[in-house]
Amino acid sequence: MNISFRKNAKFCSYFSYSRILFTIAVGLLLSVQNLASAQDSTATAAAPAGGGDAAKGEALFKNNCAQCHAVTDERVVGPGLKGASSRHDFAWLSKWVRNSQAMIAAGDPYAVKIYNEYSKAQMTSFPNLSDDDIKGIFAYVDQASTAAPAAAAAPGGGPAAGGGGESGGEGPSGLFMVVLGALVVVMILVLGVLLVIVSLLSKAVGGEVESGTKPDFMTRLGSSLKKISSDPAIRSATLWIFVLLVLKATIDGAYSVGVQQGYAPKQPIAFSHKLHAGEYKIDCNYCHTGVNRGKSAHIPSANICMNCHGVIKKESPEIQKIYTSIENNQPIEWVRVHNLPDLAYFNHAQHVNVGGLECQNCHGEVEKMEVIQQRSSLTMGWCIDCHRKTEVNTKDNQYYDKLVQLHASESKEALKVADIGGLECSKCHY
Amino acid sequence: MKFETMKFKSLYKGLFVAAVFLSAVSSCKKDPSDPGKEYAPNMYLPVGYEPYKQEKANPINPMGLTMRLPVAGTVARRNYKTTFGESDSATVDLMVYNIPADSISIAEKVLKNPIPFNEGTLAEGKVLYERYCQHCHGATGAGDGKVGAMYKGVPNYASDAYKTMNEGHIFHVITYGKARMWPHGSQIDPAERWKIVHYVQKLQKGA
Repeated sequence: MNISFRKNAKFCSYFSYSRILFTIAVGLLLSVQNLASAQDSTATAAAPAGGGDAAKGEALFKNNCAQCHAVTDERVVGPGLKGASSRHDFAWLSKWVRNSQAMIAAGDPYAVKIYNEYSKAQMTSFPNLSDDDIKGIFAYVDQASTAAPAAAAAPGGGPAAGGGGESGGEGPSGLFMVVLGALVVVMILVLGVLLVIVSLLSKAVGGEVESGTKPDFMTRLGSSLKKISSDPAIRSATLWIFVLLVLKATIDGAYSVGVQQGYAPKQPIAFSHKLHAGEYKIDCNYCHTGVNRGKSAHIPSANICMNCHGVIKKESPEIQKIYTSIENNQPIEWVRVHNLPDLAYFNHAQHVNVGGLECQNCHGEVEKMEVIQQRSSLTMGWCIDCHRKTEVNTKDNQYYDKLVQLHASESKEALKVADIGGLECSKCHY
Repeated sequence: MKFETMKFKSLYKGLFVAAVFLSAVSSCKKDPSDPGKEYAPNMYLPVGYEPYKQEKANPINPMGLTMRLPVAGTVARRNYKTTFGESDSATVDLMVYNIPADSISIAEKVLKNPIPFNEGTLAEGKVLYERYCQHCHGATGAGDGKVGAMYKGVPNYASDAYKTMNEGHIFHVITYGKARMWPHGSQIDPAERWKIVHYVQKLQKGA
């Protein structure tokens, strides 16, 4: 009686303690959310500049200029256009837009300076733009560049300022705050439950010591183990289970010889298919250029990496490895993942170009793999299984006409790969 | 009665121990960078020279490689097909172009698309465009592909400065690159490039 009372008292104290913690957490969460919502107040439209139709200019800018120029002072390919209309008069600007090369050739000092500053990249000439068009474009640039800082003024302060609620920093997104809050709540609940368990356990142990009648845990365990081991039924059952387990492990091991399913070696460069093929949707063929033409799908050479990485993420240490390899004329030693034994012939073009298979049929969801992994077993049974199931696409292909006729006279089923020699030994083994 | 319950209890314990043992065995995971064992590896490894498969360093070649660059002056015979199109519109072209990279104005004047324009070649061009161009140039050629947004400076085919560029120009740019675009001649063979030219010219007219 006494014990149970004490247990309850302890439990209550822990419970109330965790409740206080919970309240504090919720309070904190709410205050941070307030802070975030207080920051959505400063987006203002800016005064439009005179002299041009900014709405028309916006369309022209997005079609012709936005690929290389930003409306802020950020360098994209060419200089940012913020303040360009105040740096130069309209005559200079329109001349530059229509034919910058002529100005450079004529030796205009600013034109030559900017040409050299941007490593002699030629700007496309736009002789078709009228005065009104160019005025409109710069009106749009002025409007957008004054509007942009007001909207972009937010990033800077950051939520680290804390407390006040009127800081100018861009707060974390709402979703992030909700997730953070939920995590805090879950952590506090787990803490509470752990404390309760600890108190209950310590109670239970304490109780046993107090009663003091039962033998201690180790002696009880020893005596019951002795009883179990002397039972012949248990003994034989254990022996059988052991024998069966060993047998199963042996058979499994024998079947996995030569099967590399799940093989995902570490590569010399941490290339992510998830990023390239998944997020950026670069087609498999872009890098694996041989997949439609020959036996091998090809591992891209460094020049294909450079098509994008000559510009993108140059500073990343992983990309630097490609640069080093190019500078030293040293091939990148990728680790081959899909190893087919030499005794079996396989041709990518036959399957992808002729058969029209998707890469994912055999390689799995590559576009979701951070590290490339062998998903299929690549055993002969796996090949044969697919050859038995897959129907041949004979539509609009004269090559198959007679084969289809012959097959239809003998069988009611559709023409499968197996029917046109997909199971012949010598197709793959010679 | 007591004996029976005892027996039941110990059997129960035995089962429990077996379950623990089983789960311990089955939870053993293979190291992902271990390719596993092979039976008779001499049957698995190629005897001849294979691309992308090399077990031992080759002592003769630089860096121990099996592959070597072709001898200087080797003429690539990428395309054995020389006739494109059918009957009257058929053209003969060896698909060999020796216009240097810096002579885009010559390419504009001289090069003509040897592949006849029809629905078939346009459809093939679209497929090739989606493989090799779309991630930067966008589905409609507006320069709004996902990679293009990161890469910056990808033009809109339909804009005034680009919509008049002719087939020779487009072919030359795919082959050798221009401004920020890098050469794609190693990935796309000439016949494929000409098919892409057909599709790009369609995009120049606006989607």
